[in-house]
Amino acid sequence: MAASPISSGALTRGDRLFGLKLTAPAGIILAALLLVPTVLTVLYSLHDVPANGRSLGPFVGLENYTIVLGSQVFWRSAWVTFVFSLGFVVFSTLIGLAIALLLNQRFIGRGLARALLIIPWATPWLVIGILWKWFADGSVGGLNAVLLMLGATTEYYDFLADPNSALVITIVAAVWRQASFAGILLLAGLQTLPDDLNEAASLDGAGVFQRFRNITLPWLKPALVTVTVLNVIYAFLQFDVIFAMTQGGPGDATQVLSILIYRQLFGVTQIGLGSALAVILGFVALAGGLLTVKLLYRAERQPA
Amino acid sequence: MKSKNAAAGGLDRRAFLKAGGATALAAILAPGLAGRAEAAFSGSLDMLAWDFQPDTIKKLVGEWTAKGNPAVNVAVIPNLGFSPALQTRLRGGDAIDLFYNFAYNSQKFVDQGWAAKLNGLPGVDDMVADMYESARPAYVNAAGDIISAPYFSAVHMMHYNDRMLKEAGIAAAPQTLKEIHDASKILKDKKIVENPYVAYWVKEFCEEYLHTYLLNEGITAFDAAGKPVFADDPKTEGVFEWWQTMYQDGLAPKSVLNDDPGKLSNQMAQGDAAFFVLHHYFLSSIRSLNGPESANVMQGPIGGSNHTFQIGEVLQLGQIADEERRNAAWDLMKFYGWKDSAGKFTVFNQWAKAAGLAAPYPGFFTDPDVIAAFPDYFDLPMISKTFETGSKVVPARTLPWYPDFQAKVGDVVHALLLGQATPKKTVEDLTAAANSAQKGRSL
Repeated sequence: MAASPISSGALTRGDRLFGLKLTAPAGIILAALLLVPTVLTVLYSLHDVPANGRSLGPFVGLENYTIVLGSQVFWRSAWVTFVFSLGFVVFSTLIGLAIALLLNQRFIGRGLARALLIIPWATPWLVIGILWKWFADGSVGGLNAVLLMLGATTEYYDFLADPNSALVITIVAAVWRQASFAGILLLAGLQTLPDDLNEAASLDGAGVFQRFRNITLPWLKPALVTVTVLNVIYAFLQFDVIFAMTQGGPGDATQVLSILIYRQLFGVTQIGLGSALAVILGFVALAGGLLTVKLLYRAERQPA
Repeated sequence: MKSKNAAAGGLDRRAFLKAGGATALAAILAPGLAGRAEAAFSGSLDMLAWDFQPDTIKKLVGEWTAKGNPAVNVAVIPNLGFSPALQTRLRGGDAIDLFYNFAYNSQKFVDQGWAAKLNGLPGVDDMVADMYESARPAYVNAAGDIISAPYFSAVHMMHYNDRMLKEAGIAAAPQTLKEIHDASKILKDKKIVENPYVAYWVKEFCEEYLHTYLLNEGITAFDAAGKPVFADDPKTEGVFEWWQTMYQDGLAPKSVLNDDPGKLSNQMAQGDAAFFVLHHYFLSSIRSLNGPESANVMQGPIGGSNHTFQIGEVLQLGQIADEERRNAAWDLMKFYGWKDSAGKFTVFNQWAKAAGLAAPYPGFFTDPDVIAAFPDYFDLPMISKTFETGSKVVPARTLPWYPDFQAKVGDVVHALLLGQATPKKTVEDLTAAANSAQKGRSL
């Protein structure tokens, strides 16, 4: 007797068609929201698009890219973006990990502390920027008040007006929010770690650091990879908090590529150049994410 | 017989009611007819403005509608980022009948097909003729096309703390750049105020100050063809030396690269600054804050024997195919940017009362209602004279490439102020920025 298609596990043509129908709406939405804008951006980057956007304008090939890559403004902005991203990723991840480890311990009020952790993450980036702009204000800011109280400074200082400190403050503001996001994800990962692993290791004489290095970190590797990749992408695409705080100033001290793109697209309406910048930034963010995955997984695969 | 006599010599009930009704109807309609749009457009108009006193905007537009004109849908968006937001909407296909704009964008919007020229519209030549001669280049381009109408006009003025000057032994408010520097240094050295001079030196506004300071020294920035000629004047480098010194020597606070005008006004009101150069109407902000030093803040001209910068943000008419709609929108534009149908500065009167804004019409400053509307701490004859002979607009600002230059000035000036560029390099960079803007695409 021939096996039933259902019992044998084979999909019939009808089954495949039904599956296709189920996935089609999501696929169409994804294509519309992601693929179409991406293609349009690439097309714009290859043309001298008029400000009104009513046509693609004349085809200019890679000329927009040549202009961008030959501009000191671009390379300065790229450097600022790199520094911001590096600080953002490193400190967000490390502080997030520290928060997760702390909140995974038992202590009175842990539930409340975990709940409070959500607040920064739930706050829009733009609001974070506005709050930190006032916090860092050189006349009435709370940051100056704290530093004076601690004896670290003797007078109010305008951090956001100093090109040497403005970027640092924007990094701190962004990390303040993103660390909580990292903390939430990593805490979730920690909560899946069986207690008996640490107990067994402890019985075998393993210290806190050894347990952290040999049990906790390996266990958290997938979550750490996810957090780091997301942080890399967030870092390269960060706009709101910097725009709200400094709008790329003073000078070009905090002009990350996303702000440069905004200025080109919406400030001077150079759509072709702005699109070329966006394509470049997209590739960099993607490459950064992929590189992060590769590095972290390569480290994981290294033999003991 | 009685009935016949009544009909022959007087009105019967029907006739009486008919006559009375007509009279009443005429009385009701008369005011409305006086302000009614020439075309009988029955739809509603769309207007876009930035968020300066949105309730006042809607009230003013409502007054126009109340005269029997079409309803107006007023959308208000933040001033910060207004231009990008407006361009995004227009690029997306929004049809906006009347909108605010920055003067330096007005030609670009016409060229892109977003705004219409006003040539030939009824009364437009009279509107232009009504303007100060000094103001016309802001609304009429080099080719003679009328591309916008005034939303408001202002002149850069010196706001100074009279008490502080007296305390420092400074006899008169400074007018030239050198006088400003010297007075600021005296105030700082005598510890009367730590950072005496404040100004709105954020990137987006550096271009306005560029023109203010160049004009203060009698320097022409661009020739009639739009060529940057400021580099040809040896005084230009001196202007940038002054500007850099004001910032580097702490005569202006470090925060002015990021501060908003509200904070600057507050600094004047609180006595944290002695000098504030920006649009004349900011005296209203300073006084209304009622700070300990508000009453001591006075207003005076800058530029000495030269000029100050006259700015005017504008109204532009959208590209409207429908004639009746266009006529209705133009009627609203005249009401908002010039006079009402009775010849009164209704809108500008309200802006004067609300915020001290001005209009680029000589008749505005002599209108009794306007004079009564301005707070008494404004010296209207002085402001009027500044508009007439003490200020200039920069005609190059209506050239289509100008927005690209405007966007770059802030970067160059910030580099100067931060000590990252010399005054000579600044001249070179600004020249390059102007030239590249004219050539086309560049970062």
